[in-house]
Order: sequence, then structure tokens, then C-alpha cells
Amino acid sequence: MGFPLLSLIVFTPVAGAAVLMFLRRDDAVRWTALGVTILDLALCLAMLASFDTTTHEMQFIEKRPWVPALGITYALGIDGISALFVFLTALLGWICVLASWAAIDRKVKEFMVSLLVMQALMLGVFCALDLFLFYVFWEAMLIPMYLIIGVWGGEGRVYAAFKFFLYTLAGSLLFLIGIIVLYFHGGETFDILALTAQDLPFQVQSWLFFAFLIAFAVKVPMVPVHTWLPDAHVQAPTAGSIILAGVLLKMGAYGFLRFSLPMLPEASVHYSTLMLALSALAIVYGGLLALAQDDLKKLVAYSSISHMGFVTLGIFALNLRGLEGGILQMFNHGVTTGALFLFVGLIYERTHTRSMAEYGGLMKAAPVYTAFLALFVLSAMALPGTNSFVGELLVLSGGFAADLAAGATAVLGALLGAAYLLGMYRKVALGPASVGARFSIRDVNAREMAAILPLAVFVLWVGLYPKPFLDIIDASAKHLLMQVHAKGSGQ
Amino acid sequence: MTAAALFQSVLASLPEIVVITGACILLILGQFLRKGQEPFLVWASVAVVLIAAFVTLMLAGEVQRAYTGMFIADRFAVFFKFVFYLATVLTFLLSRRYAEIEGIGSSEYYVLLLLALSGMMIMASATDLLSVYVGVELMAICTYVLTGFLRREQRSNEAALKYVILGSVSTGIFLYGVSLVYGLTGTTQLDAMAAVVTGDPLDPGLLLAVVFIVAGLVFKVGAVPFHMWVPDVYEGAPTTITAFMSVGPKAAGFAVILRVFLNPLFATSNVWIIVAVIAVVTMALGSFVALVQDNFKRLLAYSSIAHAGFAIFGVVAGGTDGIASVMLYLLIYSFMNLGIFGIVIMMRNGDFSGEIIEDYAGFAKSRPGLALLMLLYLFSLAGIPPTAGFFAKFYVLVALVERGFVMLAVIAVLLSAVAAYFYIRIVMVIYMREPERAFDPALTPLVRATLAFTAVGTIGIGLFPAWFLRLAQHSVFGG
Repeated sequence: MGFPLLSLIVFTPVAGAAVLMFLRRDDAVRWTALGVTILDLALCLAMLASFDTTTHEMQFIEKRPWVPALGITYALGIDGISALFVFLTALLGWICVLASWAAIDRKVKEFMVSLLVMQALMLGVFCALDLFLFYVFWEAMLIPMYLIIGVWGGEGRVYAAFKFFLYTLAGSLLFLIGIIVLYFHGGETFDILALTAQDLPFQVQSWLFFAFLIAFAVKVPMVPVHTWLPDAHVQAPTAGSIILAGVLLKMGAYGFLRFSLPMLPEASVHYSTLMLALSALAIVYGGLLALAQDDLKKLVAYSSISHMGFVTLGIFALNLRGLEGGILQMFNHGVTTGALFLFVGLIYERTHTRSMAEYGGLMKAAPVYTAFLALFVLSAMALPGTNSFVGELLVLSGGFAADLAAGATAVLGALLGAAYLLGMYRKVALGPASVGARFSIRDVNAREMAAILPLAVFVLWVGLYPKPFLDIIDASAKHLLMQVHAKGSGQ
Repeated sequence: MTAAALFQSVLASLPEIVVITGACILLILGQFLRKGQEPFLVWASVAVVLIAAFVTLMLAGEVQRAYTGMFIADRFAVFFKFVFYLATVLTFLLSRRYAEIEGIGSSEYYVLLLLALSGMMIMASATDLLSVYVGVELMAICTYVLTGFLRREQRSNEAALKYVILGSVSTGIFLYGVSLVYGLTGTTQLDAMAAVVTGDPLDPGLLLAVVFIVAGLVFKVGAVPFHMWVPDVYEGAPTTITAFMSVGPKAAGFAVILRVFLNPLFATSNVWIIVAVIAVVTMALGSFVALVQDNFKRLLAYSSIAHAGFAIFGVVAGGTDGIASVMLYLLIYSFMNLGIFGIVIMMRNGDFSGEIIEDYAGFAKSRPGLALLMLLYLFSLAGIPPTAGFFAKFYVLVALVERGFVMLAVIAVLLSAVAAYFYIRIVMVIYMREPERAFDPALTPLVRATLAFTAVGTIGIGLFPAWFLRLAQHSVFGG
């Protein structure tokens, strides 16, 4: 066991949060939080630099006994799939701090502490190699997120926070029972790798598949358990929305990748049609709902449901293009939707309205803002040259190969996406300058630019040269697919 | 009984003797105290408990049977005794200022708590239904009196009267069950009973006896359908006594339940079906009724009913893991529940009662540190990781699934999701409302120490449960 790099990455934000507790001035708190998150990102980059893309094996493994009597270990490690999300989480971390710089003006210290704790827990989820440890991270996230939405949110924050908390809790609890059942069927261990190697009877796999499905579907969220998402997104402060859209939603899909597919391959193959149908439903239904919104944040929130439908569609296409596309699309969605929420937050700080009807002609008042907004809107539409194009293309080609109807429905969803996104851009940025007459809108400043630029870089980088990212995923995705088909097609 | 056996028996029960002697000495000394010397009572009582704890630890080596099989000093008893010591000492520390504010700080208060402690200790060590009875009554009578200690408050009087009447009836029922067992088996000793009955476990007489004993014991832990007294008594009693009752006597009740129910006699009689039904109904009632409570103490009363239900699931599971899970649950519950009660007790100052949940609105704004502690206790009670409350629930679930009771485990977690609602509702009130008043908690060094200690326990056991888990597993009787 070498240098515990992953532990360092996971617990740096916690240490930072502890330091914040002793600071008094708001500015000191902000700068320290920014420093900690940038340090964490640097550690992540160091990790990626020495990451071996040629193997599917877990890397940077750390393992210590935690509760030996129950076979619980403190085990961390990452493969190509989790590496990407560890990076995404660290990337969005400091952007969240920047996004809350001016927007959060009361209880700054408490907010930043929640944010940092949240980041540590999210990183922990992606690094955990022990199911119990995973669950602890997974469930503990509820506490800071509940506070972030409930304390610093908008008008209906209390309701939204409750809904978020109870939905996710109820979903996760069945997951917990599933974990314990798996523990006894899998030789009394919580080691994820050891459990992956088990062959469970189909009956057990089916039950577990649905127990896991509830937990992951709530997080993704898939229709029909998506109703917490619009409330939570709309009421959360900007940083909360970025975390929710950027990382939290990915955890459900990550759960499918890490648990459902490799541990329950037969059930995954057996129920893949159901999952494809639910994904296609989410794509179209989310798109239609987004089309009907006037509230900017709600629109982006519903578009998330639609976009996450692409992700689950790709995953359950159960072929290489679909899977790699789905994973890449998770990353892309984190970047693009994170950016869109950031943009909504920026404009809301200036005008205090999110109703599209009140906007118009923003291009004249804030040309830089609208130019970048255009980039991210086009990225969300999956225009060639942007990141989502690569991801969605792979997903669609995988989807068509798996199921013609699902693929066709997804294309329809992509079309809907163009409709509501372009419509949104037209109402906000183009036309007569209605909002500028009432508010003096300043363009983005340097701090905001610092938050926007890295996201823009990734939009174009993945769009124009996706190879480095696909390389990270490749070996692990192939291995995962092999696991599924070796065991799953036996029946 | 020979002199050697007597000596050995006295030695085995030395901790109980220490506590009772200490209580008697304090009772006499208390009469000579002048005004302003009350702190002495607190420290003396704490000292008595600490000496008893020390003696317990010294004797903890091997299993010792005493008083011709009525009493046993084994690891199981030691574990529970430490839970009692913990509950009692923390109650003493919390009582110091609270008793002054409420004007109940006489020596009797401390003496009765010590005597209740000795009753609980006897319960944990009892291996005969009659010694169980002696322990239960000693504990119960002291708590009846303590409940009514706020003599000028109608609520307190009413609660005490209710408690006495219902408590006596339940003990009567218990005794009736014991007499039936004696009639059927010719003995009241737990081990001997099992040896005598080898025939049909569904013997109607035996079943009746079991039902009576179950009813009597279940009353003490406040499980449905014998839970009616809990909310009224918890609300009416001085808050320190409520804190004590929710932890100590409840744990003692579970100690007896574990010893009695997991005895071979009961294990063969399908009694677990009754217990499983009790567990489900108890948890459901506690969780759902707590949703609509406005009074903090009443809410915690229903919460304690719900927690009793969860712990009973561990009894249903049985086996080493089942028993150990109940023990660990009670230990962890002691930390988090005394923590949250510590906050409620501390809030009682001046005209402020601290009993209405809405009164805590905006507490986080003026006292962020204390609010954070409340947050910790509440999330632990709700069972959210990484707090100890999560691990307690997790281990009970493991024990249930291990025995194949997956459906019961599912019911348990769904009900705990319901219960989570009312805990996070309090978090909402303290964090997401604007303050309407200034807070002036009676934050003495002793209260501070108690809160720090319980907080360390609540988060510490959650992060590093291994040692406590092993302790519980090693303390299971017969294992």
C-alpha cells in the first residue's frame, strides 16, 4: 500500500471545513474554501497524471479493517469509470465556491462548511470499494444537502428540502436492505470486488435489482420518481443546483455501473428492456415538461431529467458504444448543466427573476454572458463540436443497436431538446431589450469568468478531441461489459 | 447456605451493595446539609456510581452465580450495568442546575435515583423471575416518586399517579404470569424452568403464562399496547427524570426481556411471533404519532416508543447477533438520547420552558454550536450515517436478515423513514426559521461536559464502531 492519495483527496475538504470553523471573517472563509477546493483539484490532477489507462483493475487501492467482526473495511480505489467522476466532482467543487461568492451573504461560514463536507462525501462515494463505506458516504450526503437547500434556498426551500430528504432516504433504505441481503448471499463481505465475483441465483438477483433500482432511480432521477428534482433544483442556491445536477444525479447512474451491472448481470440483461423503456420515457417526458416551463431553473431541471435519460439508455443498451457514450455523457452533463445552472444563477443575482417572460435582448446588455450562454446551450443541444454531441452520438448508436424503438424515441427527445433550448435562448438573449430597461445589468466580472472558462474549455475539448476521456473509460467499460455478458447471457 | 457461598454471593453483588449503601449514607448525610451545599450531593452521588463502576470492572472477569441461582454476575450484566452507570451519572450532571431552577434539589432526589439504579442493576443480573420482580419494583417505585417530584405542578402529579396505577397493574400481571409458571414447572428460576418443560410448547397454560410475563415486561419498555403511560409520564416528569427513564429503566427492561425471552422455554413457544407483532406495531405507532407532536418531550416520548420498537426487532432476531444488536442499540441510544435531552434540560431557564418545538425557531442563528450538537443528536436518532444511530440500526437489520426476516427488515426501515421526518422537522425549525426570541440556556460547565461527552459518543461510535461491537458481542450471555 503506497501513499494514501485517495484518502487525501477525500478528506482534504473535511480538513478544510474544520479550519473554516475557526475563521471569523466572511472573506477569509471564502478564500480558504476556494484554496481548499483548488488544492483538492490539484491532488486530483496529480492522481489522473499517474492513472494507468491500460487496465481495468482498481488503482490507488487503500484497504484497512474498519469493523472486522462484520467484514467491513475502509477500502478506496478507482478505475476508469470512477476516475472521471472524481475529477468532475473536484472540478465543480471550486466552481461552486466561486458561484456562491456573492450570492451567499449570510451564514457564509456554515454554507462553505456544508459545501466542503458535501464535496468530501461525494468524492467518497466515487472512491469507495466497500459497500458499507459507500452507503455511509451516500447517505451522509443527505445532511449537508438538506441544509444547503433548506437554509440558503429560495422561497419554498423548506418544502423542497423535506421532499429531497424523504425521497432519497426512502429510496436508499431499501438499498440498505439489499446490501445486507447481498452481504449474506455473497459470503459475508462488503468488499465490492469480491461481491462482483459472486454468482447469485437469478431470483435473488431480481429482488436485489429492484431494491437497488429504487435507490438509483430516485437519484438519477428516472420517471416516475423524479418529482423531487424540480423542487430541489429551483429552491436550491446556485451552488446547490450545480452540485445536484453536476454530481448527485450521476451517483444513481454510477450505482447502476458499479453495482447493478456487474453484481446482478443476469437481472440486468433480463430487465434491460424495461430500463430502456423507462429511459426513453424520461427523455421524452422530461423534454416535454421542459418545453412547458417559463421558469429558467425549472427548464434546466427538467432538461436534466431528459438528459439523464440518455445516460441510462446508453448504460442499459449493454453494448460498448452505448456504455462509453453513457459514461461520457454523465461527465458532459455535469459540465454543461452545471454551467447552465451557473448562468441562471448569475442572471438571477442581477435581476432576481427567473421568469423567461421578463427577459429579452440580454445580448445588448451583457454580450459576453450571452455568448457563453450560447456555447452551453448549443452544448446541451448536442451540436457537433461540443461535448454532448460525442456522448449522445455514441448513446444513440448504441441505443439503436439495442432497441430500435428506444433509439428512435431518443432521437425525438433530442429534437425536443433543440426546441426548448433554442426557445429559451431566444426569449432570454434575443429580441427587444425588455429587462435591460428595468435593471442595469453588468456583464460577467473576472471572478465569474474564472468559473465559466474551465467549463467552456471542457465543452470544446471533449467535443473536438474526446480521445483522452474515452481512453480513461475504455478499459473499465470493456471489462464491465465482459462481466455482464459472460454471466448475464447464460440464461 | 454456607458461609463461603454467602461470602461469594456478597462479593458477586458488591456493586449493588455499594450503590444501596451509598444511597443510605447520602440519605442520612442529606439531612445535615445546609443551604448552598447541594453541589456536594451531586459529587457524592457521582462518586458512589464511580465506585460501583470500579468494583464492577474488578469483578468482571468470570461468571459468578450467587444467592442459590437467583443472581448472576456475567458479562451481559456488566455491559448493562455500564449503560446504567452512564445514564445515571449523566443524569446527575444534568440535574445540578436544573434541580436548582425547579427547586427539587433535595437529597431525596439523588438518593431515589441511586436506589433506582440499584433496582436496574438487580434486573440486569436476575436469573430468577422473583429477583426480576424485586429489581423491577425497586426501580419502578423510585421512578414513580421521581416523576411526581414537581410537587406544585399538576402535570407532574397527574403523571406520577397515572404511572403508579398502570405500573402496579402491569407488575400484578407479571406476578400472575410468574405464579402460573411456578404452578406448571415448580420453579421460577429461568434455567431450571427450561429443563422441566420438555413437552408440548403450545400448552395453553404455559402460553397464558408467557403472555402475562410478556405483557408485564413490555410495559416497562413502553411498547404497544402497553405504551399509554409513556407520553404523559415523559411530559409530566421533571425533564432530567424523563431523560433518565428513557434510557436507564428502558435498558433494564430490555436486559430482562433478553434474558427471559431468549430462554429456551420461551424460544420454543413461538413467542417470537407475538414479539414481532409488538415490534412492528410499536414502531409504527411511535413513528406516526410523533409526526403530529408540538411538545418536545412528548415527541421524544413517542420517539422512544419507536426506538423501543426497533430494538425489539433485535429481540425477534435472537441469536448472538440479535442479542448483541439490542445491547449495542441501547448503548448508542443512551448517548444520543441523553444528548438531546441535555439540550432540552439546558433550555429550561427563567420563564422559558424549552418544551415547545416552535420555541426553538432560529436557534441556530444565536447559538450555532449548540444547534450543531442538536443536529448531530437528531440525525443520529433518525439513523443517518455517519452517526452512531445509523450503526445501531444497521446492526439490528443485519441480525434480522441473518435469520431470514427480510420482510421485517423492510418494514423496519420504511418505518424509520417515517420517523426521520419528525427529527428533521426539528432541524428545520432550528435552522430554517427566523429567531423570535433571545435564547438564554442554562449552560453550566457540567451541562457542557455532558453534551461534549454524549456528542463524542454519538459521533465516535458511528465512526469507529468496531470496539463497541466486539464488546457487545463478547458480552452476550451463553456466548
